[in-house]
Amino acid sequence: MDILLGSIASGILLGMVLSLVALGLTVIFGLMDIVNFAHGEFLMIGMYTGLLTAQATGLDPLLTLPLAAGIGFLLGVLCYGGFVKYLLRGPMIAQLLGTFGLMLVLRNIALLFFGSEDRALHHGLLVGKSFDVGMGIIISATKLAVAVLAVLSFVGVWLLMNRTKLGKALTATALNRQGARYMGIPTERMNALAWGIGGATVTIAGALIVNFWSVNPYVGLIFTMIAFTVVALGGFGSVPGAFFAGLVVGFIMEIPGFWDFFAITFNISWMDAVPMTSFKYTWIYVSYFVIMLISPRGLFGWKQ
Amino acid sequence: MRRSLKCARLLMGITLLTALACTGAVMAEEIKIGVLFPLTGGAAAAGRELRSGAELALDIANNAMPDINMTMAKNVGIKSMGGAKITLIFKDHEGNPTLGADLAKKLILDDKVHGLMGAYHSSVTKAVSAVAEQYGIPLINDSSTSPELTKQGYKWFWRTTPHDVYFTKDLFEFLKGMTEGKVKGLAAVPKKDITNLASACEKTEWGAAVSELIEKFGKDYGFEVKKSILYAAKATDLSSEVRSLIAVKPDAMLFASYTSDAILMMKTLKDQKAAPKLLWGQNAGFEVPEFVSTLGDTTVGSLTRTVFIPKIAQVKPVAAKINAMYKAKTGNDLSGASARSFTGLQAWVHVLEKAGSVKPADIQKAANAIEIPGDELVVPWQGIKFAASGEDIGQNTLGMGLIGQYQKAADGKIDLEIVYPFNVATANMIYPFPKF
Repeated sequence: MDILLGSIASGILLGMVLSLVALGLTVIFGLMDIVNFAHGEFLMIGMYTGLLTAQATGLDPLLTLPLAAGIGFLLGVLCYGGFVKYLLRGPMIAQLLGTFGLMLVLRNIALLFFGSEDRALHHGLLVGKSFDVGMGIIISATKLAVAVLAVLSFVGVWLLMNRTKLGKALTATALNRQGARYMGIPTERMNALAWGIGGATVTIAGALIVNFWSVNPYVGLIFTMIAFTVVALGGFGSVPGAFFAGLVVGFIMEIPGFWDFFAITFNISWMDAVPMTSFKYTWIYVSYFVIMLISPRGLFGWKQ
Repeated sequence: MRRSLKCARLLMGITLLTALACTGAVMAEEIKIGVLFPLTGGAAAAGRELRSGAELALDIANNAMPDINMTMAKNVGIKSMGGAKITLIFKDHEGNPTLGADLAKKLILDDKVHGLMGAYHSSVTKAVSAVAEQYGIPLINDSSTSPELTKQGYKWFWRTTPHDVYFTKDLFEFLKGMTEGKVKGLAAVPKKDITNLASACEKTEWGAAVSELIEKFGKDYGFEVKKSILYAAKATDLSSEVRSLIAVKPDAMLFASYTSDAILMMKTLKDQKAAPKLLWGQNAGFEVPEFVSTLGDTTVGSLTRTVFIPKIAQVKPVAAKINAMYKAKTGNDLSGASARSFTGLQAWVHVLEKAGSVKPADIQKAANAIEIPGDELVVPWQGIKFAASGEDIGQNTLGMGLIGQYQKAADGKIDLEIVYPFNVATANMIYPFPKF
């Protein structure tokens, strides 16, 4: 029973981490119809920002979050103003290949400056701390912090989109750019803002994630893949969808734990022999494939 | 008559010289050895160690250092080739077998190397050994321990380090010794206290082989392997793996991990409050300096198999001398990685000296015939002698391993102490493993 409860708790926490990673991707898609392949690289930059700032200044990694958010916002705005704006004039394929190119550029810049070695944070207020709540549930302080941040970010973005004038302007731009411009909405600025929000949410996630996972310039790829699965499952462009889909993917990553639970509880020896952990990431891609096959619109549907 | 005799002598002289030049016995000015190590990527820390070890051996081989008690230190360069010096061409394979094979081809075809060394990751070494075999270029492997590598029947592959069959057997001999009260400072532990084992190994060539060996020897020695996990060394999160290990309540946890995953594994074990009585790592990530510098006190009490522990210097003067030189150069003590790359290059020097030529066939013949005595080596082996035939062809038959335990000295420094072989143990063993 311990392993079941432990896996559920871990799945929820991991799911919230993943939904925070995917938030920026779904925001940018929801508002601009652009699939940002460089999303994982934004996360990688957030991770490096947190790590290097904490190491250089001796500050606790948690205090680097505002800086990471600022850098992410700037990066998003710069990418839009200096690059994506021009891609929008081309066909869809240009946008796809363009952000793919952006991914390669960012990754190689990181390689140039930081080298390809894994780096990790080893000191900090939350690093290495965990709470044993009993019944096999052990909660890591760093992951709990990311989960709290995820909830705050999702609520924040949802409130911004649905309860503020700015959100209305962003939605109006997304729905009908020309119409919005006639109404006096500075659409270019709205698009840049969308990229800024997308960038800030993912870099802030990165700066927190680096408290428990190590970073190298290639780390973005696996997160991009996971974020795509989350967003596809939740429905491209849907903010609440990304949150719940993140939780589902978190549980998918805990399949080996659930498998162990059945194997141990019911003493099924053949289950014990299956190397489930070797295929941990496979299930995510399998589920991505299945979602695309049976429900291309995801759980919450595409934005209308 | 006399004139024709003179002519004949002259002709003979010219023929002899030409023949000598053709066989390559006349000095080659430079002997090029391509060295493939993971200089970047997850195992970069080990790669740096490996490189520094090989460079130190190169320095000793190319210069005369008579105060070091090693044959290669006596001469400048390779004496049998007129003092030809060795050049190492380092390439970074990033732990990627495909890249390793490509780089090996490049070294052979473009750089025209006379031999190869490397490549640490068994998976990369496997790919590189296939290339070396294809082109007929000798490859001496210094630090890959998958038993499979010497079971391929290759004619151009030799391995100085003992492989995982030796090391894993050592582990079970050690566990058996624990139950028999042979461990220094520890009364016999009842077998039921350490009978349940669980292993987590990275899933490439090396880790998968170790995992199988643990199951095999576990059965042979009467232990129960409750769980064997294979995981991706590049995984970002190992919490489900660790939970899976903890679920079977193992007495001992056994690992085969590279650098970054070994560190992540220890952090996750700590996070999940794992409480094994024994924690053992199959070298690699568990013995690079970063393991201790990153994790600090968390490592105290964990065991690792290795081939070099600085304490060996107490019983081996040549190891003390080389370790001091290495420390002056890098600031670190020799580790299992650097000591083995040092020894790998040392083997190369002996092979070249015996071959007296850079022709692959001569090198092959020499490698199959050399015998380096144990007292010339920094590692505690009986020597180096390659099996020239049989099932384990190319394997050094005189190697052996050590098991070390991280312990904290009075000055707060964490060092490896020898706990196996029992007769050379340097400290009392800490048992059970302290709680995280």
